[in-house]
Amino acid sequence: MLRVRSPQDLGAGILFLLIGIAGIYFGRELTFGSARNMGPGYFPSIISGLIIVAGLVTVGKSLAVDGPPVERFQFRPIFMLMLALAIFGFLISQIGVIITAALMMVVAAYARPGVNLLETIVFAVCVSAFVVLLFVYGLGQPMPLWWNS
Amino acid sequence: MEILEHLATGFAAAGTLQNLMFCLIGVVLGTLIGVLPGIGPIPTLAILLPITFGLDPLSSLIMLAGIYYGAQYGGSTTSILVNMPGEASSVVTCIEGHQMAKRGRAGSALAVAALGSFFAGCVGTVFIAAFGPPLSALAQKFNSPDYFALMLLGLVMAVVLAHGSVLKATTMVLIGLLLGLVGTDTNTGLTRYTFGIGGLWEGIDFLPLVLGLFGIVEIIRNLENPPGERTAISTRLRDLWPTKQEFREAWPAALRGTGLGSILGILPGGGAVLASFASYTLEKKITRQPQRFGHGAIEGVAGPEAANNAAAQTSFIPLLTLGIPSNPIMAIMMGAMIIQGIQPGAAVMTARPDLFWGMVASMWIGNLMLVIINLPMLGIWVKLLSVPYRFLYPAILLFCAIGVYSTSTEPFMMVLMIIFSIFGYILLKFGCEPAPLVLGFILGPLMEENLRRSLVLSRGDPMIFLERPISAALLVATVLMIALIILPQFRKTREEAFQEE
Repeated sequence: MLRVRSPQDLGAGILFLLIGIAGIYFGRELTFGSARNMGPGYFPSIISGLIIVAGLVTVGKSLAVDGPPVERFQFRPIFMLMLALAIFGFLISQIGVIITAALMMVVAAYARPGVNLLETIVFAVCVSAFVVLLFVYGLGQPMPLWWNS
Repeated sequence: MEILEHLATGFAAAGTLQNLMFCLIGVVLGTLIGVLPGIGPIPTLAILLPITFGLDPLSSLIMLAGIYYGAQYGGSTTSILVNMPGEASSVVTCIEGHQMAKRGRAGSALAVAALGSFFAGCVGTVFIAAFGPPLSALAQKFNSPDYFALMLLGLVMAVVLAHGSVLKATTMVLIGLLLGLVGTDTNTGLTRYTFGIGGLWEGIDFLPLVLGLFGIVEIIRNLENPPGERTAISTRLRDLWPTKQEFREAWPAALRGTGLGSILGILPGGGAVLASFASYTLEKKITRQPQRFGHGAIEGVAGPEAANNAAAQTSFIPLLTLGIPSNPIMAIMMGAMIIQGIQPGAAVMTARPDLFWGMVASMWIGNLMLVIINLPMLGIWVKLLSVPYRFLYPAILLFCAIGVYSTSTEPFMMVLMIIFSIFGYILLKFGCEPAPLVLGFILGPLMEENLRRSLVLSRGDPMIFLERPISAALLVATVLMIALIILPQFRKTREEAFQEE
């Protein structure tokens, strides 16, 4: 029975394999060509192939050499931060940078437990005002300020 | 003296009020972010990159270089005062610097670090001025096979010198190369790996990639494992000056560090991290009182600090003359130059001498500013350490988002950043360091193009790489490096060298 000695390496190896296979699969319609006349698929195929080899070696290593365990995935921080980024990306053109920036910071604050809502809102509004002053007025970067612009 | 003439051009270009101001802003901002524990030069550069885009090319490069030096110096301050390295190259500074701080010599350690860095910075500037033109002339002789071999050597060196597993670092480079190929193939005009998404036709945008992999993953890492209570050791300004004894011990170390750093900085794959580790090892080897090391030996601060600053500067040489970044930080600088519409390489020096020499001059100016600003403002930097993280991270996140938005208003860019944040998070959990990926990402299209051209030249015969003397020599060096990795003896030394973190 095979025993996983290094869970981190196993994870990494599987990830590498997936990336390498994706590289081959999604590039399957690109012409490979020849060394003399490299097609668009030549270099990507070689690289993907090497990634697959590296993935196999990493998986093999994970069964042979002891290594650290995988740290527990915590969903709250990454989920809230990704939500905050998504809010920013999709709302800024609708409701303007001022409200979006404040809103995203409040959402981001919830990536940690024990949020003081009032403090967070005050802070978010201040930073959002500062950022608008810096980027829109200081650096002259065009951004919609409010929803109607 | 041709060097003086060049430098005069440079100081004239960099010495305008506007450029001096941007240099100052860069140094201050870089220090400001670099002081924060856990944020090294790569995330600092990534976070601050967008604010330089609106400027003209020279000002923006001057500011970026300022940010880089500032970040590095900020990292040393944090290391000495709170024993928290902000970045890999100040890990060594932590060892002796913090011990000095505990003995009440924090001021002296900081002053030595600043003065050592400044001295190294001066030498580094002269180094670039002296070696830039001949290397650039050499670069004119480079042909596609030589470029390809050089990039291969650079990538292999970067892997050898990266932290952690060689296997994982190699794969990170390969994944970077693959990601760099996304977009329209320059040769045929066909799109590759774009999945019909218009936002990918011109390739994956650089900014969402670095900000996701470094800026945002850094926040998540800190949220999951909150750093311990940071208690900064207070320091008074009048304690800043080193004693005569300390000075006598420090300056030869700074001198050695500068020499070592200047040379290691130029090597492909070299840079600040390698230089500071090498200098610390050297000081420890040649000292007559080894028992002092680990208990606040000032040579262990002066040497590595000088070395990392010298290397930080000379690592610009391969980028500016050959157009090839030697380490991930230079890859980010190259990304910034490309966004500014400058293709780094030998042509920059001849076509835009003001740009090249202006940047060189600004490096010296930036180093001078660091000394002048940082020592008096020490109190402020230390206070910054007491800002609670719950305020810091949403602000950093907002900065990342606005940064991406200011280069492209497409919501797709934010999606891309989310994807790379998640990817970076998974890499973190599986113990993969993403820095080599950036290097691969930048070099991917260049490598493919040069490989293609080489093989067209030789009608498909791979022997062309061995027939040309330059590429043959570079390939031999590459093979030697690979042999080194495989040799068990060297592996052990490498592991020991990185053990000191």
